Amino acid sequence: MSGLTRVLALGLALLPGIALASEGKRIEIKGELIDTWCYFSGVMGGPEAVTGSAHHTCALWCAAGGIPVGLLGEDGEVYMVLKLPDDDNSAGGDTFVELTNDTINAEGMMYERDGLKYLVVSEVISNDGVANLTHEDYGVIPGFAIPKKKIKAVTVE
Amino acid sequence: MRSLAIIAALVAAPFFLSASASAAEECEAKSWNLSGQQKACFSAKVVDILCEVAGNCPANCGDGKRQLGLLRTDNGKLVYPQKNLQSTFNGAVADLAPHCGKTIDVRGWLVGDEETLKGAAQLYQVQWIRAEGGEWKKANKWTKDWAKKNPDAKGKGPWFRRDPRVKEEIDEGGYLGLGPDEDIVFIKDNY
Repeated sequence: MSGLTRVLALGLALLPGIALASEGKRIEIKGELIDTWCYFSGVMGGPEAVTGSAHHTCALWCAAGGIPVGLLGEDGEVYMVLKLPDDDNSAGGDTFVELTNDTINAEGMMYERDGLKYLVVSEVISNDGVANLTHEDYGVIPGFAIPKKKIKAVTVE
Repeated sequence: MRSLAIIAALVAAPFFLSASASAAEECEAKSWNLSGQQKACFSAKVVDILCEVAGNCPANCGDGKRQLGLLRTDNGKLVYPQKNLQSTFNGAVADLAPHCGKTIDVRGWLVGDEETLKGAAQLYQVQWIRAEGGEWKKANKWTKDWAKKNPDAKGKGPWFRRDPRVKEEIDEGGYLGLGPDEDIVFIKDNY
């Protein structure tokens, strides 16, 4: 790229109102729909503890709270999900809440932009439900996920 | 060709100036001891991420229902805000949506380390927002917005214990997502 082209490209990129959509790639991918905040930030411990059944209640809170949902692929990479079938309400939409921690096989378009991978899911081909049984190793994360009154109701039976 | 380069440079100049003006101020943000956290204050345009990456562009950035991004004015890179300043499981869209298409200043933290990012870009926690010509404001609107949208869910305790959708999901799938019967087995074994 010549110096002039570089200057022009940067100038255009900085113009308000111009969306530079990237070229997507159609993919099929299997993985778990996770709460990306707890996964990347480490606020509740290591990454294995904040996926699957151990973290399901907290992930529901985060999905309903509008925290981005990602698909943790079998390759270990996180694909930020921008749309699920018939639901582009990625900030707390119903489908994003309903599929929390489900392991799905999905088809859709994958986009890469500035170091992140984004996924626009057109079809959920199969859904194994919550299949990552992390509670067997970690209990529940955070520890207060199950309210005391529920624990008391069960243990005094 | 030279005149084209001059036009492009003139177009970009105000954005560079805006970024450097912001950077000249002290970058204040409260540490949350997050993985790989790096304090980051910058100017950015608020954009609909699905529109930016895939060209799917409804009016008004999707009216607060879609994830919003920060298109930095200093380098043109798209930054993904995951979180606001509140500590109760809230994203940043409620705070950013009123600024759709506008340039704002933000204070917060880039988040994530190599163990989880695996070479990907860090994401962002936005703590403070300043609209053009305005004052710095905390990014803490989410719970007030939720209360307005859920007047029937008033009561004691935090929103996430009262949210109708969360309650419905837990009623059906249990706290582990494996069904209410598995919760009972788990509680009896562990408490």
